[in-house]
Amino acid sequence: MRYIIKHGSIIDPARRVATVGDIVICDGVVEQVSELADLHAETESIGDDIEIINARGAVIAPGFTDLHTHLREPGEEQKETIATGTLAAARGGFTTVCAMPTTRPTPDTAAVVRHVQALARREGHVRVDVIGALTQGCAGKALADMIELSEAGCIAFSDGGHPVADAGLMRQAMTYAAALGIPVMTHCEEPGLTRGWAMHEGIVSTRLGLAGFPAAAEEAMLARDIALAELTGVHLHVCNVSTAGAVALLRTARARGVRITAEVTPHHLTLTDRWVLGKLVPHETVAVPDGPPPAPSSSRKGRRSAPPEQLIPSWLDPALLEPYDTSTRVSPPLRTQTDVDALVAGLRDGTIDAIATGHAPQARVDKECEYGLAAPGISGLETALALVLTLVHRGEMDLVNLVAKLTEGPAQVLGRSPATLHPGARADIVIFQPDQAWRVDASQFASRGRNTPLHGQHLKGQVMLTMAAGEIVFRRDHFGRSGEPRRATSRLDGFLD
Amino acid sequence: MEMVSRRRRHVIDLDEMTAAEIEEILELTESMKEVLAREIKQVPTLRGRTVVNMFFEDSTRTRISFELAAKALSANVVSFSARGSSVEKGESLIDTVRTLQALGADMVVIRHSQAGAPYLVAQHFAGAVINAGDGRHAHPTQALLDLFTIRERLDRIRGLKVVIVGDILHSRVARSDLWGLTRLGAHVTLCAPPTLLGPAHFWTATWPQISISHRLDEALEGADVVMVLRLQKERMHAGLLPSLREYSRAYALTPERLERLGAETLIMHPGPMNEGVEIWPEAATAPNSVIEAQVTNGVAVRMALLYWLAG
Repeated sequence: MRYIIKHGSIIDPARRVATVGDIVICDGVVEQVSELADLHAETESIGDDIEIINARGAVIAPGFTDLHTHLREPGEEQKETIATGTLAAARGGFTTVCAMPTTRPTPDTAAVVRHVQALARREGHVRVDVIGALTQGCAGKALADMIELSEAGCIAFSDGGHPVADAGLMRQAMTYAAALGIPVMTHCEEPGLTRGWAMHEGIVSTRLGLAGFPAAAEEAMLARDIALAELTGVHLHVCNVSTAGAVALLRTARARGVRITAEVTPHHLTLTDRWVLGKLVPHETVAVPDGPPPAPSSSRKGRRSAPPEQLIPSWLDPALLEPYDTSTRVSPPLRTQTDVDALVAGLRDGTIDAIATGHAPQARVDKECEYGLAAPGISGLETALALVLTLVHRGEMDLVNLVAKLTEGPAQVLGRSPATLHPGARADIVIFQPDQAWRVDASQFASRGRNTPLHGQHLKGQVMLTMAAGEIVFRRDHFGRSGEPRRATSRLDGFLD
Repeated sequence: MEMVSRRRRHVIDLDEMTAAEIEEILELTESMKEVLAREIKQVPTLRGRTVVNMFFEDSTRTRISFELAAKALSANVVSFSARGSSVEKGESLIDTVRTLQALGADMVVIRHSQAGAPYLVAQHFAGAVINAGDGRHAHPTQALLDLFTIRERLDRIRGLKVVIVGDILHSRVARSDLWGLTRLGAHVTLCAPPTLLGPAHFWTATWPQISISHRLDEALEGADVVMVLRLQKERMHAGLLPSLREYSRAYALTPERLERLGAETLIMHPGPMNEGVEIWPEAATAPNSVIEAQVTNGVAVRMALLYWLAG
């Protein structure tokens, strides 16, 4: 099958450029990329096995790579499976996902890795790379079979969301990984500072009476891991950076030449601990001791009544949530606006290499309970692009750089060839409309995890089509189909529904 | 359904309540106190309504207080505690609430060890929800009875200096009192050892008008009201305090400190007390102690709240 994607804005993240043009895909690889000047030549060669995808007004980019995805299979199929998780990935524009090892059993032996790889080949909609366990059972007690895991094809080692508390063990693990030339991915959390935590420790946790995960818990562990990376020479990849202090630590470590990369999630780039308050009015509008009654909260009312389509950039309104909504519970927790600003700055200046979803689907029973008892995690694959596009719509980041953080950045972390759409490259492609407004409806997710604080929010930017190795793995409605007969059919479809 | 309130449906904390609403409940409390002073301490106001007390955490005084309040209003009252109920069998809070709904409960009173649990209940229950204490978060009926007791004795709230001393960090009473007192115009000073308070700006960001102190003797200067909080002995085992002896020396209301207080300074404690730890018997039973009045007023305040929510 041959596809011609026409008239899209092609972003080449590796070269940081965007051009308008066409892409021809044949047998799973990119055959030809032509810029607007030479568009008129090929149209007469259309046959039955050729489909033209009209991408006018849309962006064409290399498929996204997610460095941090919990697919939950094997062992927690009620939360997600490789089939549902990779379909969610396809809907989010991701053509490669790196599966976190905190499954049951964990991939701490080659046999489990091969099992996951076989499942992914059989049932996966996009490419799945397996992250091996750093320690047996991700329990932080003894090293996993790291040589065997690397031979089985693991692309990194990690204990997922479990911190390795024992610094000595972490040193040994890093020493092994350094010799194998494989990165160690760490979730930075000093457990002595986070006992019983429910959310970020700060103003909101104090008001709500919830135990905190202080920023210092992340920063203390990150400082340790940076020191150990210097000691061992390992490539350290820092997962879900969430604090301003962590960004500063990363920046100085990079300046010293430490081999370190980092990722940040869409939610840590855009949401704050204020979301745990939900519809409760934050302090400043109510805590007036002697003054007149609080003025009608102008900003919120105003935003509510305005039609969402006119809103720029997105309709991110925490007041849609009830207080203590467990969908806002995530590890590390949502931080403050100061942290958000530092993360965006770090992403922009290259201190942070990649955007990774940290996709952590949970079953309803894990979230429909008291806040402190709820399992942490946000189902993030299907809202990732729209959420980070908020930064572009606000003018905090340019589109090409943002796309690079979803493509070129992760490729570099994994030591892969640059993410570029050039002839001969594997046809992993995403097409998205950056200005398309939509309302998040978690019940429509392909992921089994409906746990998102964004349900009901209006976002801008929607994935229209995803192609993995030349196959269309996701297509929104009838995107890109042209010609009268098809259009008529689609209208009829609408009536018959 | 008749239970739909003309005002609020639930009372989970005082943070969303206006000063006028709080005043209204305090006025109602006066009338309820009158009822309780009669020979027959019962009115038919809530006849035919069912109030369920769900106590997922041990409590004697709050539960009894709510039961008496509901009975004085002629409601049907059922109380259950987590022990021996289906909760032990792993039933979720949501299931429990749906079951109560199906059984015809009109109002639920909930005490829970997890902060925010009453919001969860409110989302799955058509009637009224009253928070009887959730984790470290809120205890609005305690705050209302504190406000009522202060006003009963000192005739006002506005302009008073109120010192809250003890384990502020883990105290739902302190948080609800902060909302109530500041909204009615009191000046509040929080006094606690640093480990039982946390950074000052975590508090002043939400309640900008309060003062923070780590020295009780300084904080007590010119105080109109001293609220002493219970110190859970587990705090010491968790390494938050060097020793109970030292804590008592620095933060307890001792006979010496009692001497230095004005004779009019109210002494309050939400109970249960650890006498000899955070408060000495001399202070608890002093003429200016209103600790027993707090307990008595608790029934009237809860009657007022049940009535207010029933509309």
